[in-house]
Amino acid sequence: MAIPAPRPPVSAAVFARPGMSARDIVRAVRSLDGVCLTSVGMRDAGQSDFKNRHRIYDLKTLAPYYEKMGLFSAECHGGARWHVGIMNRRENPFEEIALLRELMPDVLLQTLIRETSLFGYRPYPKNVIEHVVARVDIDVWRCFSFLNDIRNMRSVAEVVMKRGRLFEPTISFTAADWATDEYYLGVVREILDLCSGTDEIVLCVKDMAGVGDIKRIYNLIDAIKQKYPELVVQYHRHITDGLALPALLSAARAGAQIFDVEEDSLIRFYGHPPILGVQAYFEESGIRVHLDRKEAVAAVQKVREWIGDYEWAESPFKGYDHTVTLHRMPGGAFPSSFEQADKGEFLHLMPAILKIMSLYNRIVKYFDVTPGSQITWVTCSGIVNRYAKERGDAGVRHVTELLTRFVEEQGQDFAAMTRPEQDELLLLFRGAPGDFKNLLLGNYGKLPVGWPAEWIYQSTFGEEWEQKIQERKDLSPLDLLKDDDLDRLRDGLHDALGRVASEEEFILFLMHPKDAVDYIVFKEKYGEAPLVLPTGVWREGLRKPGDRVDFELWGKPYSIELVSVGAEHDGIIHVVMRVNNKTRVYPVETPRAKKAEIRMAKGPSDIGAPINGNVWRIGNPERGVLRAGDIVHKGEEIVNLEAMKMENAVLAPFDAQITEVCVKLNETVQEGQLLFVIGKI
Amino acid sequence: MMNKTIQKILIANRGVPAVRIMHTCRDRQIPTTAVYSDPDRLAHHVFMADAAVHIGEAPPAESYLNMDKLVNAALKSGSDAIHPGWGFLAENEAFAQRVIDAGLTWIGPSPEVIRMMGDKIQAKVLAQKANVPTIPGISSVNNIEEIRKWMAEENVQFPIMIKAAAGGGGKGMVKVENQDQMATAFAQTRSEAKKSFGDETVLVEKYIERGRHIEVQIVADQHGNVVHLYERECTIQRRNQKVIEEAPSPSLDDDLRQELCFTATRLMREIGYTTAGTVEFIFDSATRKFYFLEVNTRLQVEHGITELITGLDIVGIMIDVAEGRPLPFKQTDIHPNRWALEVRLNAEDPKTFSPSFGNITRLQTPMGPNVRVASGVYEGADIPPYYDSLFMLLMTAGADRKDALRVMDRSLGRNLRVEGVKTLQPLLLSIIRHPSFIEGDFSTRFIEEHMDELISRFREKNSEDEVLKIARHVAEISALGPQKWM
Repeated sequence: MAIPAPRPPVSAAVFARPGMSARDIVRAVRSLDGVCLTSVGMRDAGQSDFKNRHRIYDLKTLAPYYEKMGLFSAECHGGARWHVGIMNRRENPFEEIALLRELMPDVLLQTLIRETSLFGYRPYPKNVIEHVVARVDIDVWRCFSFLNDIRNMRSVAEVVMKRGRLFEPTISFTAADWATDEYYLGVVREILDLCSGTDEIVLCVKDMAGVGDIKRIYNLIDAIKQKYPELVVQYHRHITDGLALPALLSAARAGAQIFDVEEDSLIRFYGHPPILGVQAYFEESGIRVHLDRKEAVAAVQKVREWIGDYEWAESPFKGYDHTVTLHRMPGGAFPSSFEQADKGEFLHLMPAILKIMSLYNRIVKYFDVTPGSQITWVTCSGIVNRYAKERGDAGVRHVTELLTRFVEEQGQDFAAMTRPEQDELLLLFRGAPGDFKNLLLGNYGKLPVGWPAEWIYQSTFGEEWEQKIQERKDLSPLDLLKDDDLDRLRDGLHDALGRVASEEEFILFLMHPKDAVDYIVFKEKYGEAPLVLPTGVWREGLRKPGDRVDFELWGKPYSIELVSVGAEHDGIIHVVMRVNNKTRVYPVETPRAKKAEIRMAKGPSDIGAPINGNVWRIGNPERGVLRAGDIVHKGEEIVNLEAMKMENAVLAPFDAQITEVCVKLNETVQEGQLLFVIGKI
Repeated sequence: MMNKTIQKILIANRGVPAVRIMHTCRDRQIPTTAVYSDPDRLAHHVFMADAAVHIGEAPPAESYLNMDKLVNAALKSGSDAIHPGWGFLAENEAFAQRVIDAGLTWIGPSPEVIRMMGDKIQAKVLAQKANVPTIPGISSVNNIEEIRKWMAEENVQFPIMIKAAAGGGGKGMVKVENQDQMATAFAQTRSEAKKSFGDETVLVEKYIERGRHIEVQIVADQHGNVVHLYERECTIQRRNQKVIEEAPSPSLDDDLRQELCFTATRLMREIGYTTAGTVEFIFDSATRKFYFLEVNTRLQVEHGITELITGLDIVGIMIDVAEGRPLPFKQTDIHPNRWALEVRLNAEDPKTFSPSFGNITRLQTPMGPNVRVASGVYEGADIPPYYDSLFMLLMTAGADRKDALRVMDRSLGRNLRVEGVKTLQPLLLSIIRHPSFIEGDFSTRFIEEHMDELISRFREKNSEDEVLKIARHVAEISALGPQKWM
């Protein structure tokens, strides 16, 4: 918990800071003369254009400027940053928060959370949501639902508001014939019911693909502000369509007060509007922006010191693309889908996939943001790839024409299609991914404007379709999912690590079980490397002899200097380094390293070595040597290991027949190594 | 008795004891001969010595237990005396006799004394004769029926201890808690006894619960002078092997100390003991009674702490005595004025005690005031799997126990650094920081009783370990380039 800060803020520009109540923060924004900004430089900027690879090592250099800039908040947490952090950067969100709290104690830290999916990709049961949300030290909780199913926000809202933190319920925005002002006002009403009014929340309009045109955005925000004049509105918009700045201005004129921006020098093509540009444009247009421009300029400059280290992470597919308004793939998902297409060698199919996505969007209606954007991508790229594989380019053209005719010419009137066309549509979704099926079955919540047409269920589930519609749920996952057994999960982590896990490790594990264990194991082996090494060294090592890296660890200076990298022999490269002037040799295994395969005991019928030692007797003095096929009795000594002159008898755990003797006399074995395989008799 | 001057000493040992003895030899400018087995070719003791003789393959029976080879090595290298160190053949009367028969000086007690005291059954009889209290038990046990009969007749309750009659040093001893364990324990003791001491005779004793292990260091010359150098407390043990020793014992008051030391002196005088040796007692703190355990007819691992509190060199005394000289002091000259502690650094997993052999890639030994290190290895040395896991003794001293503990904490916690093999270091540090240990409230079961707590206090992280993890990442990436997972 942040403790209310008794000292005055470092900068006079600071108007909202940790420790203030949600009500006071809202009041402070309302009473601002003009608008204020959230910097997404520490989260969404990296997610949109750099695959979330920006390391806290570099991002933290912006903290001293943020501290004095007079921001509403810094979004530095959540979204995919959490998962990519543990998987690819080997950073954990708890460390990041602790570091930023120390470096910018006056800045509200903001997260982005996916209602019941939290920081993961599947709906979590209520007790997991409550456990996690209560233990993450974040001030502003921007919470969205890709279905705008406000029921799903309940648990997050309750815990956040009870903690006295600021809840920022978010409406997912798209441009579609069904996405009317009335529809959104209905969503806002549900939000205000959940949050008991407008005084303790900020409402966010999340235009994650940047598809709202200038008039549409004005009308929507104007409609909300007309109805709820006291509601503080934040506008979050990506820039891919090229129209972000005027759209922001129109949102400001309609009454939005907080805007998401990032450092100008961080912007590529899919991210957010530039902080300096927005301020200049707004002020020229007569709207005051609350910002210490000098600090913002310094932050923009600071980025240039390290952004060059991330060129490798940038999308190879650059440039604005106004057709985003058709396929609606959001910033972040767009470049990564191109990357996947490149890796999967179907880049040439991208135009067709984007076209199919724009048609699909009109058939199955929800919002293209995590996890919806992933469902859309996997489903549509799957369909196109299947046609390409079965029928080549002609097949791809064919399916595009089929869907175009269905959506654009026939107005989705299934009966109006010819019989062969109907038959084909009824097979269109047969290979759809499991998450698409879960979506149709209501496992994520209810779709924003009702369930898809029945033919889609037929197409997806085949003969079982009617039964599947019967099974479809109308309740929120919060009401559907049974609580997880946290103690049992904790035991599972304990077993995986072979030690007691910390609370923070457990939360990482709750979100992403496998990746969290990999991360923890990595950290045990490589320690603070992800936090203290400069990005160039972290990613590429020391390049040539004499290169060195200096850093501080726990307040003491350290230096690592490369002496030489040896040639590869039998899959091993010897690296000689000087660590604080002491020479050390590190044998490094290459992928070609021959691993001497040691079989380890796993199951209950595997007898493992209790210690490292030498097999000096197989069998026992009474029976003599034991061989495969022999029967042994519970408690009978079957092998004896000697280590440093001590004998260690290994006894049969139950009456058994020996299936295999896996070691030879006088062999040196390691702890856990398989000695015998036995079978119950 | 004729005085003779030893010209060159062969040390029939390896590792810590060999190096320790060579230090005194160097002090006295007596040349030394080392012996080594195949895996010890580059061992520390080999380089310490003035000459070195290869004596065979790795298994002890081929090398350090092979009497012929050792005696031949002495003759071949022109050595005129053999010091056996501790372990291996140190308490083997046949070897002592062989050495003497070969015309060499045996730096140790006479073969007769070794034989008498080596036979635990006879030793106990002799102790009883010398009016030294002994633990109830039976000797020369041939089968478990005899044990059961004795327990029934003398109304002895579990636990009991089965011991190799020829054993010592914690080897060949198995504690039995109930009837079910008896057969296995009996067989194991006999087998270990046979393997380690070449004699499968075993004896059985009542096990004193929560006992303390206290021993008295004796030195005696060939002229009938027997002097004790006070006691050592060796209660902290794991698997019946001592890991922490201290002198004086925190368990005794002065009256009890005098009684214990004079009892030990009396016994050693009775049996005609010469050179350095130890009388071991088990001390029942509940009844404040002590019982005779055994006589160790050799230099002991923990002799160093007695040297620290008395200022004497026990190995030097052994050489003097072997040369026929009288002890240069009387009992009244011995005034211990320090407190000393010793910890045994074994190459073992500190949680499981599973041996950890391999290469010592990095070794940083403690320094600073009041520290003594007796190391059997150097940085880069191998710890082979065939021998005892002890590779270093770390001793500290101070004006009182608190002082000595403080120096030990500094030495173990901040100065000592061993890389490449696991050691008991974290466990030892955890023990000396444990409130009960600091209070002096412990028994031989201290480690087993507190193991989980001790492990939970293992120090988590230090920046020196951490920087090596970081360096590992730099090394791997420098060699392999950016990784897929990044």
